Amino acid sequence: MNLQYTGEEKIPAGLDAVWAFVTDPEKVGHCFPDVVDVMVQDPTHFEAIVKVGVGPVRGKFKMKVELLPASSKRRIDMKMSGGGFGSAVDLTSGADLVDAGDGTTLLKWSGQAEARGPVAAVGGRVLDAQAQKLISQAFGNVRQQLTV
Amino acid sequence: MSIQAKPLHSVGVHMKRKEDPRFIQGKGNYVDDLSFPGMLYLSLVRSTYPHAEITNIDISEAMKVPGVKAVITGKDLEAAGLGWLPTFHGFDKQMVLAIGKVLFQYQEVAAVFAETRAAAVDGAEAVQVDYAPLPVVADPFTSKTDKTLLRPDRESKTNHIFHWEVGDKEGTARALAASPKRIKQRLWFQRCHPAPLEPCGCVAYFDTMGRLQFHVTSQAPHVYRTALSLVTGIPEDKIHVISPDLGGGFGNKVPVYPGYVCAIVGALKIGRPVKWIETRTENLTSTGFARDYHMDVEIGATADGTITALHVATTADHGAFDAAADPTKYPAGIFGIVTGSYSFPVAYAEVDAYFTNKAPGGIAYRCSFRVTEASYAIERGMDILADELGMDAVELRKKNFIRTDQFPYPSALGFTYDSGDYHKTLDVALEKIGYTALLKEQAEKRARGELMGIGFSTFTEVVGAGPSKHFDILGIKMFDSAEIRIHPTGAGIVRTGTKSQGQGHETTWAQIVAEELGLDPQTIMVEEGDTDTAPYGLGTYASRSTPVAGAAITMAARRIREKARKIAAHLLEVGEGDVEWTDYKFQVKGVPAKTVTMKEIAFAAYTNMAQNEPGLEATYYYDPPNMTYPNGAYVAVVDVDRETGETKVRRFVAVDDCGVVINPMIVEGQIHGGLTEGFAMAFIQEIQYDAQGNNLNTNFTDYLVPTSLETPHWETGNTVTPSPHHPMGAKGVGESPNVGSPAAFVNAVIDALSPLGVRHIDMPLTRDKVWRAIRDAEVKKKA
Repeated sequence: MNLQYTGEEKIPAGLDAVWAFVTDPEKVGHCFPDVVDVMVQDPTHFEAIVKVGVGPVRGKFKMKVELLPASSKRRIDMKMSGGGFGSAVDLTSGADLVDAGDGTTLLKWSGQAEARGPVAAVGGRVLDAQAQKLISQAFGNVRQQLTV
Repeated sequence: MSIQAKPLHSVGVHMKRKEDPRFIQGKGNYVDDLSFPGMLYLSLVRSTYPHAEITNIDISEAMKVPGVKAVITGKDLEAAGLGWLPTFHGFDKQMVLAIGKVLFQYQEVAAVFAETRAAAVDGAEAVQVDYAPLPVVADPFTSKTDKTLLRPDRESKTNHIFHWEVGDKEGTARALAASPKRIKQRLWFQRCHPAPLEPCGCVAYFDTMGRLQFHVTSQAPHVYRTALSLVTGIPEDKIHVISPDLGGGFGNKVPVYPGYVCAIVGALKIGRPVKWIETRTENLTSTGFARDYHMDVEIGATADGTITALHVATTADHGAFDAAADPTKYPAGIFGIVTGSYSFPVAYAEVDAYFTNKAPGGIAYRCSFRVTEASYAIERGMDILADELGMDAVELRKKNFIRTDQFPYPSALGFTYDSGDYHKTLDVALEKIGYTALLKEQAEKRARGELMGIGFSTFTEVVGAGPSKHFDILGIKMFDSAEIRIHPTGAGIVRTGTKSQGQGHETTWAQIVAEELGLDPQTIMVEEGDTDTAPYGLGTYASRSTPVAGAAITMAARRIREKARKIAAHLLEVGEGDVEWTDYKFQVKGVPAKTVTMKEIAFAAYTNMAQNEPGLEATYYYDPPNMTYPNGAYVAVVDVDRETGETKVRRFVAVDDCGVVINPMIVEGQIHGGLTEGFAMAFIQEIQYDAQGNNLNTNFTDYLVPTSLETPHWETGNTVTPSPHHPMGAKGVGESPNVGSPAAFVNAVIDALSPLGVRHIDMPLTRDKVWRAIRDAEVKKKA
């Protein structure tokens, strides 16, 4: 099943600080909800183990993540794929960084995910809300981490 | 324990099932009960993608899992010449483990062998498979465009598998064009799954003699032995297939599945026994599904309701491989029975099958090869025609039934119906349900705006495949066999080439032998499923056991009786021509006092046989001269809640004519079970795929099996029209209720909704579908 999300997060930090944060794989990795482990491979690649629970489908997903920072330093895209216990998720998301002019930064994000296997079948009815929650939480965590 | 009377005759007796004490005490012997020293467990890695290239398979992490002994992939099998498995009718092949790409979600990708079941599952989880997704074809209509070619491995570069047709195309078109009344409706018989409570599984090992011992959930053990020999090159004498107690089959345990091949390869490679038992999800997502036929039904009639022609054009979804278990010459099974119980002067049926990115199958789920689809098409079609004509559905049926004086009846699509009395069967059903009173009640309810429906299905089945001139699987003719041995004390054993999965053969076969030989059915043991001991047969499916093996048992028993006649003559000190079989014993003609029983003859066969060959046994291979044609008249009465769309099946009457009944209790049990499955298909079951090719019904929380709470109360009855060519007059019944009932349920619901102008809803008739249909019709009416 295909899922699409958009949202906005107001970060109480300047553009440069936010940019430094969202391009750091270690930091981005630890913003994933229920993350268990982050293994950084290089400045734009890391693996993350996350706990997943959708309906009766519960376990750990191993995700491969690639960060794609734009040279403008105003946009970052992220590709993520992986899965576990017979399920798979492919997720692409992107965020535009907008200087709000008051020392804060707007993170305008959008994402789309494709889920396969039991997580899509069993979780079909609850997956949408669950994914929405997780993705909001992830960007919410970015805000929290940058709130001093 | 209750004491049962012991009448001389055995056929027609409500004898309790001999197998039940074992089953109800949990003492059945199923494949998963088996354990051998050193046994390993197999778990399969399955594809998460419905269509994707496999870019890499990394087994290194799996090999580190404690207990994991080996991992094999499609490439390993291909190197050993075992990459592909022929499908049963021989026109396609199926990957054992994916080679190069995967074609459906949950397809077998790698096999992990480990010391425990848990370690095997952990090992399978640790196999890292990288996929590059390909476009997904999730329905046959998209497949038809050939925009995405699914099977480049095949010579023919198209997704179209076959076009099959039967009947008079031009004549049907002409007759339809000339008909004053015509209906045309697309009916989809959704993808279902037989979902036997015991999933598929096996244990394979090579014994000290180098012989493959293969314990497997198989409805056709002999065919497995031959197929395994042909695929693996192992000489057939070095293969021993044993199918122990089966917890249901319903057609799901006919095909040979990749897991079986992997278990055998593992046993050979590692040199230890290997057990493979599917999970529920694996059973529902990868083993043989049923139906998935999109049928365009067109019927012509005169203004007074005399049918003139039938045309059915079907688009079939066969999934990723053409693994429909059909006889070789019948790629669309026996769909030609689609003219049903009606006297169509001309008809034409065609089926076009396509590959899709779904699980392969199209097996005969409690159905004699696509007969369920055909019966649904004609029985729904007749109701739609009745609606078009403004005629009572019963009246239309009676007007067009094949009459008793027309038998043997040559149908427009090439069958010769053996016997039947369709008017009588329907009359019994009408009487039982109280049709006149129901019509009155319905009229009153309709006046009050309440939705009550009465639905009929007066189907004719074709079962007992089949005559050797038409029917074979992989070239093996579809005869069946029986071997009977009578021991010195008059007890005995009967073995057949069929294999019970719950049908009660241990009782029914004993009753046939007892009836034919005048013995006690309690002392006739039945053994099936062991290829070392049972005579060769094609197995149990397509309601063929009683029509084919039952006939073989009868004929073998009669051979024994002929041998016994010689010994009787010796014992009675008369010439062979002077003894006659009467009242279950031999008697000197005209001298009722001079008799000898079979029990006495049996003893003499081993102790006092004179010049006769010692022993008392016989084998018979029965090649049926024709199929048998059971029929039935089913009536469903439903109340539909206008506000919620909920349907309550208030009453259901099933009157079956399966010819001579051997054990009425077993027949009734079969009918109850089949009706419950028909009810499930009509109202709740469907294997759904989303547009991305995800299987959405992967377990029993999403693919529902009715419990006693949902299941309606069944009222059964019967008429008896013996089959003229079966030695006992029996026709077979296992599938009739599954074949006949879906249309009765749907016809009843549509009848309830007909005042709103609803003409058709595709199964399953879930509450939300019915609710939507009611709302849409009400909106349309207001507009």
